[in-house]
Amino acid sequence: MQSAFDRRRINGPEDSYHPVFANEIHESSSHVHRIRENRKISDIRPIFLQPGLISQANGSAYIETESMKIACSVYGPRQSKNTAYNEKGRLNVEVKFAPYSCELRRSPLRDAEDRSIAVAIQQALLSSVQLEHFPKSTIDIFLVIIEADGIEGCIASGSIAASTALADAGIDMYGLVTSCATAVKGTDLWIDPTQEESNTANGTLILSCMPALGIVTNVWQSGRIAPSEILACIDACNDRCTDIHSVVAQALLDSAPNKI
Amino acid sequence: MASVLPSSSTNPSASSVNSFLSAAEREAIKAATFQRLHPRIYLERFLEEKIRPDGRPTAENIEDPNAWRNVEVNVGSITTAPGSALVRIGKTTVVCGIKAEICEPELDNPDEGFLVPNVDLPALCSPKFKPGPPTEEAQVLSERLNEVLGNGMLSLSSLCICSGKSAWVLYVDATVINYDGNVFDATLLAMVCALKNVSLPHADFDPELHRTVCTRSETDPSKPARKLAIQEDLVPLAFSFGVFAGSHLLPDPTASEETLLDTYISVILDAHAQVLSVSQLGAGVDNYEALDQGVNNLPSSREADTLARCISLAKKRQAVLIKKVYNTST
Repeated sequence: MQSAFDRRRINGPEDSYHPVFANEIHESSSHVHRIRENRKISDIRPIFLQPGLISQANGSAYIETESMKIACSVYGPRQSKNTAYNEKGRLNVEVKFAPYSCELRRSPLRDAEDRSIAVAIQQALLSSVQLEHFPKSTIDIFLVIIEADGIEGCIASGSIAASTALADAGIDMYGLVTSCATAVKGTDLWIDPTQEESNTANGTLILSCMPALGIVTNVWQSGRIAPSEILACIDACNDRCTDIHSVVAQALLDSAPNKI
Repeated sequence: MASVLPSSSTNPSASSVNSFLSAAEREAIKAATFQRLHPRIYLERFLEEKIRPDGRPTAENIEDPNAWRNVEVNVGSITTAPGSALVRIGKTTVVCGIKAEICEPELDNPDEGFLVPNVDLPALCSPKFKPGPPTEEAQVLSERLNEVLGNGMLSLSSLCICSGKSAWVLYVDATVINYDGNVFDATLLAMVCALKNVSLPHADFDPELHRTVCTRSETDPSKPARKLAIQEDLVPLAFSFGVFAGSHLLPDPTASEETLLDTYISVILDAHAQVLSVSQLGAGVDNYEALDQGVNNLPSSREADTLARCISLAKKRQAVLIKKVYNTST
């Protein structure tokens, strides 16, 4: 849907809509409690992580978890513009969805979802970066979501990619941040839910932590979850984050010889 | 205040960092610093040695296929788009995804759908760009691509579902992931490959409900999805050249070369290597700078010569590229 005429872009027709398919209604309800076909509910999607693909950036990472594809680049530390003197550096996170990244086309104008994901990722990373080493500067982290499969997955994978890119850029950190999402469905905990799974869940929780230090950096919970379940979610996510940490560390080690 | 200032114990000075590095690493840092401070002289010194900074040969052996960077094409990797392609030319990376939506045709052209190509240069791809609305460069790129794709390669009437009532609109969105020069060629290639990859579901216009209903080929095999009716003869491919210092012809320029170019020439060829369009941005090739370089025996038709040379080089390259692209996309 083209919300407004924009002379800076090539414009299509005034109004267009996503194709409507016949016999679609029953299908979606039959998916609700379908069991995952190729992984257990306690498993995360396989991660492909490649640091340093974007040669123009100071640091970068590309992450792919099945159909989720996110590219991330880090620029900086560079001079802060239009801001007052600050003893600590600023961590700026911007997220952009490609127009073709979701089932429905996203108009190129920025919407609220970009910003809420950017805030979640910023919060996950903020306490891991040694910003006191970068007075008067800004570290820019840009993410482009090439293909999305669940908002929770976007935040979790985005945080992992951003932390990897920060490490690739050689920016001082206390530890690598990894992140994992869970959805509560009935009494079960579904780790790393897809779009479809989180749509039918009671509630979701995203945990970001620095496994090397055993410190949690951010918890993002939404929906209806009992306090005891929240603790169970955090435990489950924490275990997966430790696994993810070794994947990230290995990816960084493998790319290290290319750096020099 | 003193605690904020970097002390020598936490931030080692430049000389002590250097002592950790091997001789080769120190040389590499020196070269990178020199490139940053004197980009023009840096490039000139490479060209004097008949080599380009990324290791490609120059002028004399320009017939060499290594004068162009390696091209990689990966089609159909984005499942949320009915057509998609990822193209890499050297380190330049472009992703193109196509979304098909349904709209009402224009009153003037009741039998035609829409093709809407747009290029996005996000802040991610290069330090040149800031987040926000499309930059001038992105606008110019989109405009040029719209012109090239509107050449009749895809007849818009093939996108019509019901005359005057319903038609397809194809949003062709390209996102540049890594901006390392020659983005125009890469984007055009990505868009063409993505268009070839599109499969549209069968669509019927229901005059009673006044709406269009599509059918998935999995639910009703009698109504299969279809590929776009692309005129293979008219499929465009672009080949860009930069002219540096009036005398060096650089095919497929990189980002660091692009900023130093006087002239930028793009040749667009169809599938039979016929010229569809030639564009020259920047000063004429035969200018006083060339004379300054000591090339004063240039014929007066030098400019035409350069264009003719670009076209013949583009044709040679096209033969190589078309084999490669067709092999990967089918």
